[in-house]
Amino acid sequence: MDLDLISTKLQAGRAKEVKALVQQAIDEGIPVQDILEKGLLSGMSVIGEKFKNNEVFVPEVLVAARAMNMGASLLKPLLAAQGVKASGKACIGTVKGDLHDIGKNLVRMMLEGKGLEVIDLGTDVDPEDFIRTAQEENCQLICCSALLTTTMNVMADVVKAAEKAGIRDKVKIMIGGAPVTEAFCQQIGADAYTPDAASAADRAAAFCA
Amino acid sequence: MAELILIQSGRARAIPFEPPRPFSELLASEGIHMAHPCGGRGVCGKCAVLYETEGGVPETKLGCQLVLTGDARVTLPDSRAASIQLSGTSSLPITLSPMKGRLGAALDIGTTTIAARLFRLADGRCLGEAGMVNPQTQAAADVMGRIGYAMKSGSGHLQRQVLGAIETLLSACLPSEHSREEIDALVLTGNTAMLYLLTGRDPEPLSHAPFQADCLFGTACQVLGIPAYLPPCMNAFVGADITCACLDSGQYDAGGISLLCDIGTNGELALLKDGVLRVCSTAAGPAFEGAGISCGCGGVEGAIDRVWIEDGALAYGTIGGKPPIGLCGSGLLDAAAALLDLGLVDDTGATDLDRLEIGGGIALLPRDIRALQLAKAAIAAGIRTLLHGASLAPEQLSTLYIAGGFGAHLNIESAVRIGLIPASLSQKVRVVGNAALSGACRLLLEEPSIRRAHAIADSARHVNLGGDPVFNEYYMDEMFFPES
Repeated sequence: MDLDLISTKLQAGRAKEVKALVQQAIDEGIPVQDILEKGLLSGMSVIGEKFKNNEVFVPEVLVAARAMNMGASLLKPLLAAQGVKASGKACIGTVKGDLHDIGKNLVRMMLEGKGLEVIDLGTDVDPEDFIRTAQEENCQLICCSALLTTTMNVMADVVKAAEKAGIRDKVKIMIGGAPVTEAFCQQIGADAYTPDAASAADRAAAFCA
Repeated sequence: MAELILIQSGRARAIPFEPPRPFSELLASEGIHMAHPCGGRGVCGKCAVLYETEGGVPETKLGCQLVLTGDARVTLPDSRAASIQLSGTSSLPITLSPMKGRLGAALDIGTTTIAARLFRLADGRCLGEAGMVNPQTQAAADVMGRIGYAMKSGSGHLQRQVLGAIETLLSACLPSEHSREEIDALVLTGNTAMLYLLTGRDPEPLSHAPFQADCLFGTACQVLGIPAYLPPCMNAFVGADITCACLDSGQYDAGGISLLCDIGTNGELALLKDGVLRVCSTAAGPAFEGAGISCGCGGVEGAIDRVWIEDGALAYGTIGGKPPIGLCGSGLLDAAAALLDLGLVDDTGATDLDRLEIGGGIALLPRDIRALQLAKAAIAAGIRTLLHGASLAPEQLSTLYIAGGFGAHLNIESAVRIGLIPASLSQKVRVVGNAALSGACRLLLEEPSIRRAHAIADSARHVNLGGDPVFNEYYMDEMFFPES
């Protein structure tokens, strides 16, 4: 089977077809690593590039990422059985007081599309929960999302909590969300602000390289 | 020295200036207020104007981006205060048993628009009605922005603005043979945050999860020295306006299984089953109000509000039959439906074209279709999540009530075509217009219905969509358009 077909269907957001094709590829005995990289991840990176160039927009990325996740769910147990390690580990969440998670989910899926392992802490996440997870799970990255001007300041608390816990030099703190800006990122001393999910994934991959 | 001829509502004014000069700056220096909901970033489309130069073709430009380089004629949309369309159809007969006094007014304080109706209480006769843009939009366009503003700068300024607007509207409604002193009763409805700002309450509890309102109103108070009643809210994000809409639409009294949708920047949904209202609010963003759309505009004269297919090509109509200045929410829905039918946009929202011409120089861009997909998915997924939680299929609903100003103008067929509302409900739609205002009028003229308003608010159960995996799954499903 041509793995490009998986990539093409993924780019069109056809989740069920992607899942069926991935299963077919597994059944045909194509190496799992190839299915992941040449099928799913390559499709996702095309979408990511187009997203950054404003050729595609949030809806396409969301549905493509969902298609990738459905395909990846079949591959994960097989990859684990083969002892394949992720290239990096991140924990992600929407900060305390905020329940908006669509952007956060998008970033999670894009990070996974870069081959990173991502622990999703959900929404309304306490600064301490970010820190504890990063410590216990040895995460290189903490990713914080906020959609409200009234909750984005919690991100500053996450940075302070990381300093207090003595892990500030071990983790990179990435922030994003509609009201967040580069100036805000510098002001609170976080490591990176990215304006969209695709740039976030690129930045995260660079931090883990 | 160059000259700008500024035209609004059929009146012209000449303004000399030194080119080049940003248009918005020139307007401000002349004391002419123009709202820039997106802060002048050129993304919301709300400040569209018609721009002409000597011998040139009139073009639609964004006021915030326009730089005048020489003599020009600019036509502003007709004054919003005069042309915002008021709507409302009371679906139930009112049994007159009014609040005490000579005159009384009902007002719906919307995030974007404030609407008022004045009555003679003795016989329930409507003496006048008026509407205007909520002046708080100058501080921030959306509810959260307004709450943030109040927390940063105090709520006094916003409270003074809304009180000033109410005073203005009362004067506008008042026939010359009556005086302001005769107004003895007010009913003021609105979403929870608007009532917080009206009463000068600190909106901090509404600013963060778990979004617990510390006051849901349903109380009497004094506003501008007039005895006033504020109907009860259901929760922090489903306000007294929805309580009033449920009351006036007859949804609650009819019983059975039905759904009420108020489609706007925040979509509010109320599903009635077994006497319980499951309510939620879903953030659609401002696309339905024409904002965030490259050629979008509000529902003002010159807005394309209807698009259809004629002989295999697109045809359009504008509000007031004026030259087109942009596309308002209902026109956007029609345009998307027609583009789907013509096969120019596919069910994933993809198109091969860089510009989707609607006509009259107005065109949608691919990203506008995407913005519409996000907005419609938020509403459609909210509907499906509520139905899912109540173990219902759409077919089981007896009625779909569509409330709100946008809902009054939307074409149901187009709404179904783009998947905003389920196809199986297209024959069960009842458009109830600004039912929030009509409900407030009902409370003013039919005082015993206050009890019913409280029963409605008490029966509400909040369904939180944020972080709900069921909602997220539906949200992505609904991102697509239905296949034809």
